[in-house]
Amino acid sequence: MLLLTACAIQAKQLAVVSDKENSTGNVKTADLASILSGKTKTWSDGRPVKIVLRDPNSPEMELVFRRVLNMTADQVRTLMQSRPGLIVVADSDEAILRFVSATRGAIGIVDLYSLTKDVAVIKIDGKLPFDAGYLLKGN
Amino acid sequence: MKKTLHQVILGWVMALVVSTPYFAAAATPEPKSESFPLTTKSTTARQLANQALAIYVDHVQQPEAIALLRKAIVADPQFAMAHELLAQISLDSAEQVAEQQKAFATRRHASPVERTAIEWYQNAAEHKMIPAITSMNEVVHQYPHDKLVVWMSSWWLMTQTQYSRALAIYENSQITDSPGLLNNMAYNHAYLRQYDEAINLMAKYAASLPGDPNPEDSYAEILRLAGRYDQSIEHYRAALKIDPEFYSSKFGIADTYSLMGNQRQARKEYDKAFSKFHLEEVQRIMWETREATTYVREGDFKGADRAFQAIADAAHSRHISQVEADSYRQMAIYQPDARRASQLLDKADAALLDGKNAMKAAIMQESAQVLRARVELAVRTGDRQVVRTALDRLDQLAQTANDQMIDAAFHGAAAALSFSEGNYDKAIEHLEEDQDNPISVELLVDAYQKNGDAAAARRTAASLAERNDPTVEQALVVPAFRKCYQDASCNSGLKNVSLPQQASRTFP
Repeated sequence: MLLLTACAIQAKQLAVVSDKENSTGNVKTADLASILSGKTKTWSDGRPVKIVLRDPNSPEMELVFRRVLNMTADQVRTLMQSRPGLIVVADSDEAILRFVSATRGAIGIVDLYSLTKDVAVIKIDGKLPFDAGYLLKGN
Repeated sequence: MKKTLHQVILGWVMALVVSTPYFAAAATPEPKSESFPLTTKSTTARQLANQALAIYVDHVQQPEAIALLRKAIVADPQFAMAHELLAQISLDSAEQVAEQQKAFATRRHASPVERTAIEWYQNAAEHKMIPAITSMNEVVHQYPHDKLVVWMSSWWLMTQTQYSRALAIYENSQITDSPGLLNNMAYNHAYLRQYDEAINLMAKYAASLPGDPNPEDSYAEILRLAGRYDQSIEHYRAALKIDPEFYSSKFGIADTYSLMGNQRQARKEYDKAFSKFHLEEVQRIMWETREATTYVREGDFKGADRAFQAIADAAHSRHISQVEADSYRQMAIYQPDARRASQLLDKADAALLDGKNAMKAAIMQESAQVLRARVELAVRTGDRQVVRTALDRLDQLAQTANDQMIDAAFHGAAAALSFSEGNYDKAIEHLEEDQDNPISVELLVDAYQKNGDAAAARRTAASLAERNDPTVEQALVVPAFRKCYQDASCNSGLKNVSLPQQASRTFP
């Protein structure tokens, strides 16, 4: 007995996070694509962008690359091999959150339900996680 | 704090890998080794709360735990965390609402971490989900190895369908001696369809509580989720052999007969169980709804109307607005007569307008479900104006509510419209966001087929045929879908994928 009528499907939402001093509250999908592909190297205040993500092979990161960059895992592999050090890979969401909270200019992507108050959540196209039509959501 | 930045090759990419202790957390206090505090000026109240948690978390003795918490708040009416725990485990919706308000009102008498926990639940009740999540994680960060904290967080995450995150918190806690947490985690695996892991944990759970009926009962429920109905009934009977008063197993047998397709036997079992056991409100309504659903399963909609109307009338007289509305909504979705369905949805709206004895979040979620049903009905009758009006209202609700269930309702409704217009790409986009509702999943199978994506259609069809949740939506969709799925002459495009052996053996 558990006394919970649970749903069968686990909906995943991902949050784009930055350090709390970052004044960028919102990015367009195209801006995020430019950041993740290494084309945008600095924030508007001149601080260098530092990207930290989970294993690019994970289903969550595949969702990010597909939705934001319209790229397959193979294409992302090629991109990252051509630009070593572009993306810092962390072994847990907690590690990403610690890195982002302590690193000026850092941007990361984590499971929404791992979120802590030590980071700021960046809107995508004016939408926060849970908003209808939010980009980084999938089952 | 040790820094361990190191470079690795992750199979194929050169990148920096950051492990957990790379940087100290910026603001969150460090983890504590002691137990999560329960602040009260009354020693008696604290003892009662501790007793309640001991019997609830590990032994699922919910009514007894509720009674102890009620005594604790009498001993100290300013015991904020006891109010919160009662709000979370109460089986009475009016009490849930009242106790949440009292927990919030008395939080200044609690410690900082208890206040954070109360704010987490308060934010969740008000649909402020991002602050709710950050507060939950702050509590977990401070007490990662505390059984109560792991129970509170993993349970709440289960209600949010975040099974992987619940499992991660449990694994990080390194708690291995809590039967209650083993039970919960087995369910998390089962909801992720990881049945081997679920059964493995369930075996450990049973070994940790020899002579207790609940492990057998939980085992039975997990087997039913896996479609192994006969084995499920065996385990429910084993639980009743240990304790003939273990009502959940008696009702579990009834639920299982219903899913097997034997509605007459199911109703016999429900009736025996209702006459033998006195249930708390939430449980009684849940099983009355399941009994009403037996009529839907056999296509006896008049019988279903009588049963659901009785639930709605009882809810109305007891001022439980969300239950009343949900009963009318469920009646509406199986009605062959569109006019009657529309009248029932009007009644659901009226009950929601009354809005008594329910959290704001529950009223909003129910409103979304009613609007979704209205859109689907209007699509059926071709009433474009109602489709547009209801869909716009649902869109507004989804934009402001920050709620997965409301979001899913919007996608289900929008998909019904897109599908009816032949816009299958758009329909698929929406339907993929509502894969918990069998009505949407069935439409998704059709949309994939119409779009020529046979592999996705087959994969989705196989998963739909495996659904074993005792809801009206499942009753309306899955049995008929399975029948077609197993019939070689019906929809041959879906026949190249065989069902899992365990499930196919037991289909009615």
